[in-house]
Amino acid sequence: MLETVAQAVINGLLIGGIYALVSIGVTLIFGVVKIVNFAQGEFVMIGMYITFFLFNYLGIDPLLSLFISMPVLFVIGMLVQHFLIRRVLGPNDMPQIFLTFALSLLLLNLALLLFSADYRTIHTSYSDAAFHLGGLYVPEAKLIAFVVAMALSGALWIFLRTTDLGKAMRAASQKPDVAVLMGINPNRVFAVAFGAALALAGAAGSLLMPFYSAYPFVGQVFVLMAFVAVVLGTLGNVVGALVASLMMGVAESLGIQFVGADSGLIVVFAMFLLTLAFKPTGLGGGRVR
Amino acid sequence: MQGSSLKIAALVVLAIVLLALPQVVESSFAIDIFVRILLFSFIGVAWNLMGGYAKQLSLGHAAYFGLGAYTSTLMQINYGISPWIGMVAGGVVAAAASLPIGWLCFRLRGPYFTIATIATAQALMLIFLKFRDFAWGAEGITIPILGNAPLMLQFESKAAYYYVVLGLLALGLLITYKIEQSWMGYYLVAIGEDEDAAEAIGVNAPRIKRDVYMLSAFLTALAGTFYVQYIYFIDPPTAFSLNISIEAALVAIVGGIGTLWGPVIGTLLLETTSTLLQSWLGSNTGGIQLTVYALILMAVILWRPNGLMGFVNELLQRRREQQQKPARARTAP
Repeated sequence: MLETVAQAVINGLLIGGIYALVSIGVTLIFGVVKIVNFAQGEFVMIGMYITFFLFNYLGIDPLLSLFISMPVLFVIGMLVQHFLIRRVLGPNDMPQIFLTFALSLLLLNLALLLFSADYRTIHTSYSDAAFHLGGLYVPEAKLIAFVVAMALSGALWIFLRTTDLGKAMRAASQKPDVAVLMGINPNRVFAVAFGAALALAGAAGSLLMPFYSAYPFVGQVFVLMAFVAVVLGTLGNVVGALVASLMMGVAESLGIQFVGADSGLIVVFAMFLLTLAFKPTGLGGGRVR
Repeated sequence: MQGSSLKIAALVVLAIVLLALPQVVESSFAIDIFVRILLFSFIGVAWNLMGGYAKQLSLGHAAYFGLGAYTSTLMQINYGISPWIGMVAGGVVAAAASLPIGWLCFRLRGPYFTIATIATAQALMLIFLKFRDFAWGAEGITIPILGNAPLMLQFESKAAYYYVVLGLLALGLLITYKIEQSWMGYYLVAIGEDEDAAEAIGVNAPRIKRDVYMLSAFLTALAGTFYVQYIYFIDPPTAFSLNISIEAALVAIVGGIGTLWGPVIGTLLLETTSTLLQSWLGSNTGGIQLTVYALILMAVILWRPNGLMGFVNELLQRRREQQQKPARARTAP
């Protein structure tokens, strides 16, 4: 019994690392640019397809394709911010919500047209490998994904704390007007934040590929999880999103183990509704927008 | 005065055309398209009450569509109760469900309200999928075909369905018109513009939002019952489809958010586009249809955030100004 629980917790933590990459991206964009990117999951999907095609046609290992998917998505992010998001920033919610929502619809259905609804998987040397710790089973591909995800999250945290650009980003998120007075160019900061968030989504895509199938709707799984994690971890809070993502990974995994294979999401939604009912400001406190 | 009598005349003509349409057009394919247009116009009108006027941008109206559809179907299959009664009962169930759902979702504002509404609709779908003893689970159920049974909301001719959904749309538009003209309409717009400011001048925002959400849920549920009776089938992915939620918002935004006729205009454009695409490309257009919808939505948001109605009003305004200019020049000494 204890072993089953421990195994479920391990599985949950490992997938929670991927959720963290997606939700940190969502919360970073929300914190800095002040919009919710409904299309974040579709960028994970793009990262997965990039990784799939690189592996399939050029034989590039998914871990190496991180160095391609991340920069590509970083650039896409800057372009999206510059040409689309920048035009709808302002006090009005409607255009912001429905622009990124339309972007999500567009990317999803383009993927459906271009790649069909087929599930695409790749098989690497470490796809089936696993470590055994006592009676516990730790799949290698998931462990690598988790470690890299944590490293990237840490790198982002250090970037936000120590570099000038990172500090400018935090300044722009806390007091945008004052930040402009201090000589911070908000458009540049926004573009970098958006790019960085999408690069994380791309990383999530590459890291998922050795043990997860790519298909046009795959992003929806992750984005829903990310939205819940971002509310649970207090909107705009990077560390909160990380902790909440890991918690949700574990909750989902325990749900699958003890309620039934199709119940992971129900547990996650239940957590979301409980959060809304009892702690709508999230675990970190603070204010609700 | 002249303007309002012109409007009434236009309305009468429109009503006559709409009533005569199924008598003139006999192709059941065409009537099917008309039914879709009227149905989605009606869903858009229901969404628009809350999403358009009060700017509470829900993407979870499928929750009420599904609850309405399931309530009437359960009553019909288990107890043989007519879907006409089930339709109203479904509306009541949906309105009642909107209270706890709204209580939860209204704790968040802006985009996170939107996410919370998506999550509740998805959660309801999962619940209906999971608990198969209660409502047939993932298999769904086929509505028994009774032939021509108007009392059971079943008709042999498609034209009858057309008149039913036309009636629903007229009801939705009438309610919207009445609200637009009343203090409630002004409160809704005030909440949509700036909720905090509205509360500061004494608008009871939580109560108004709750009431309009109930009304919107009630109407959406009526559409749910109609749709299920029209296609003779129900299962959770159909009844709680995210696409219903999306289309409800989409037609209102494209047509003109927070306007009486916006959702109707938006549906006309989107459904016509979708029909044309289907006839050009065959039936295998799932991806294409939504790709085009997404592009239209992006274009509207970037260039015409007030939708087609806003665009039309702009043109009318410009024409009026041009007509007034020479008139004013003549009266000047």
